[in-house]
Amino acid sequence: MNTAALDVPDQAGPAKQKVILCEGNEAAALAVALARPDMVAVYPITPQSSLVEHVAKLIADGRMDADIVDAEGEHSVLSVLQGGALAGARTYTATCGPGLAFMFEPYFRTSGMRLPIVMSIVTRDGITPQSVWGGHQDAMTVREVGWVQLYCETVQEVLDTTVMAFKIAEHHDVMLPVNVCLDGNYLSYGTSRVELPDQAEVDAFLGVKNVNWHVALDPLRPMAVDPLTGGSGGKGPATFVRYRKGQCRGMQNSLRVIEEVHEEWAQRFGRRFAPLVEEYRLDGADYAIMTLGSMSGAAKDAIDEARDAGKRVGLIKLKTFSPFPVEALLKSLAKIQALGVVDRSVGFRWNCGPMYQETMGALYRLGRHVPSMSFIGGLAGADITVGHFHRVIEATEKLLSGPAPTEPVWLNERD
Amino acid sequence: MGRGYNTIAFDAARCDGCGDCMTACAGAKTGTQDKTRSRIQIVGDASGGFELALCRQCGDPKCVTVCPAGALTKDGASGVIDWNAAKCVDCLLCTVGCAYAGIALDAGSGHVAKCDMCYESPAGSPACVPACPHGALTYITTSRIYNEVGDWEDLFAPGLAGCQGCNTELLMRHTLRRVGPDTVLATPPGCVPGMGSVGFNGTTGTKIPVFHPLLTNTAAMLAGIKRQYKRVGREVLALAIAGDGGASDVGFQSLSGAAERNEQILFMVVDNEGYMNTGMQRSSCTPYGAWTSTTPVGKGSGGMPSQGKTQDAKNLPLIMVNHRCEYVATASTAYMEDLYDKLDKAIEASKRGFAYLHVYSPCTTGWRFPTDQNMEVARKAVETNFVMLWDYTPGAGLRFTRPVDQPLPVTEYLKAMGRFRHLSPDQISHIQAKVVENLAFVKQMVHRASAPGGET
Repeated sequence: MNTAALDVPDQAGPAKQKVILCEGNEAAALAVALARPDMVAVYPITPQSSLVEHVAKLIADGRMDADIVDAEGEHSVLSVLQGGALAGARTYTATCGPGLAFMFEPYFRTSGMRLPIVMSIVTRDGITPQSVWGGHQDAMTVREVGWVQLYCETVQEVLDTTVMAFKIAEHHDVMLPVNVCLDGNYLSYGTSRVELPDQAEVDAFLGVKNVNWHVALDPLRPMAVDPLTGGSGGKGPATFVRYRKGQCRGMQNSLRVIEEVHEEWAQRFGRRFAPLVEEYRLDGADYAIMTLGSMSGAAKDAIDEARDAGKRVGLIKLKTFSPFPVEALLKSLAKIQALGVVDRSVGFRWNCGPMYQETMGALYRLGRHVPSMSFIGGLAGADITVGHFHRVIEATEKLLSGPAPTEPVWLNERD
Repeated sequence: MGRGYNTIAFDAARCDGCGDCMTACAGAKTGTQDKTRSRIQIVGDASGGFELALCRQCGDPKCVTVCPAGALTKDGASGVIDWNAAKCVDCLLCTVGCAYAGIALDAGSGHVAKCDMCYESPAGSPACVPACPHGALTYITTSRIYNEVGDWEDLFAPGLAGCQGCNTELLMRHTLRRVGPDTVLATPPGCVPGMGSVGFNGTTGTKIPVFHPLLTNTAAMLAGIKRQYKRVGREVLALAIAGDGGASDVGFQSLSGAAERNEQILFMVVDNEGYMNTGMQRSSCTPYGAWTSTTPVGKGSGGMPSQGKTQDAKNLPLIMVNHRCEYVATASTAYMEDLYDKLDKAIEASKRGFAYLHVYSPCTTGWRFPTDQNMEVARKAVETNFVMLWDYTPGAGLRFTRPVDQPLPVTEYLKAMGRFRHLSPDQISHIQAKVVENLAFVKQMVHRASAPGGET
């Protein structure tokens, strides 16, 4: 662990913060320590492994006071945390790829039980073909089961978002599990300068936890957790609907809470991240490209170069992918005449990227036809370079005057 | 809650009608050798055996009800029905009221006489019992558990959705009484929640915190619960009452993982040898040859009939022994005192680490036997050594708690239910051989555990 800390002279931010150099996995681990969970459960998997190793070392060194459970697999990892949360614990874990797939059974259930568990997904492509490298296929595959999913662009954003995730998850209007998605390889191992928030400030930011006020396994408050619900008779259908509607309401509430929490973070720590949708040089743009996660850095460089060359192009970046921030996105889509969406994963059903598929739904609500197309790149660890984004920009620009292709463009097909 | 009392038990198979018990009774009660004056009467039955005419000291005694003089009363302390000579009007109505011929006219005294279990004698116990040369009479405490736990709060809801004749209700009520309210109960999908322990549509079936884990993650969820209470300094028992299918098949990984980490859990498996709640499908705990809905009996093809399960049962409790748990035991609801002893030990062990209790639990619906036969089937399983009752601790190793030295042939067990009725002689031979082999295997572990230096 790199602990070479520097005191930053004349720091402009409201709180004095240490500056360190670390990789994204370590930044996530440090954020977890700052959030003071009661319980973490771990099982190693590439490229998440160094994250849980850092967590284990922080606990071993006494820098973090949490019960660590080295479970025998991801399925039990999340199950242990469900038990802990039902008994009142603040809980954390991380996984990716096949580990997330193995965990799916309790994963689905976590949101239904409204347990505010925070879990990093160090995103990894799906197998098969066999692969151990980054891609969004894992997180995208589970996008429809009621977890809040936030995608980070930088190592600093990984750290900050991981702390914020606890506050979002535990907000009483939300009470939902949160995934902090950091791109495998590019963010997990990417090393950069990171400002480390002050512990007392984080304590004040997160406040006193109360994670099982709504559902608990506690002899002092005996209740049946998750009795058999539904069926076609009696109060079954209405009871089931009430639970499902509650989940949807929590998801919608989270959009407001994510914004509030990001605003408070900016006030306390001086770093401001677009909570739902980020616009980059979108004002005055005729068309835009859309990105998610760490690829956005290269995309912004390409936008700068294109703008310098006189192209009227901007960028829309999603941070919050689940719930899908339709209203916020519509405000950005309203500014443009054509859109190219770059996905780091595959939507097999529509033969396009999943984010593109979701965005098409938002475009319908716009009430105006905006020609659009799908780009798929960065699969299984492949890089999406500034050069790739120039191709994206050029192809998207053509939508202003020509027909939109129905097939996706595969960016790394000839790399 | 009422009380249960001691009783005189009669084993007709051991009785040869010698009448020594009657002589002893007559001596004790009348000072004579006149068997006709004995309060216990052995009488021949139609099949050449013997029956017992003796007061049962009924809980709802008809003799007391019909007595017009108030001469008969049930004593609350001893349970004995006392006869008061000063009040008796010699009407003999009581002898008509009794269905057991337990009260009759003693011609020698001119009054009715009945057994009082000699409770006021110096020995405080019946004179007839030690007089029997064949051990056909025993003076037994039948209600120790009932008297001890009867007043404890029943933490399971009245009314349930279990099959008629299921013994899991018995197991649930006793287990929850014993563990008490400072417990979190996990009942993974199966018969236990199926009978309503977690409840339906917002209602609960249990008075303590209860939940459905997944079929796959019971031990992991309980580990998280227990750890958090430990962290905040609260003593809470983490209890699973799980089926054999989830534990031995799809949930085995989390069970094994929790045992390896020595999580402080009491994990009870109710082994009805299949997925009975979902319709009697095969599990890895289903025994060889058994019919289930996924190992059905049919003529097959190519001359190879389908004759039930073709593999032997996985021995889950022995696998748990190899995790070196703090406590591992097998138990049966036909032997409740043994079960209670093990429950007590398992509760204590779960404060130190992983405790595992495997309860063999016959299923009237899935095994196809009459609903009043559950205890008989459970008992036969033990008496044939088809299952064995033992316990294990890391310190003392493995030991039998109810060794069966002269086991009945396994057919006595197999014929008690329908799921084995198709068995061929070869299959029966296989099962009997497996019983012998399993016994030898467990005996070897007992031997090793008791050898100098412990396990080798």
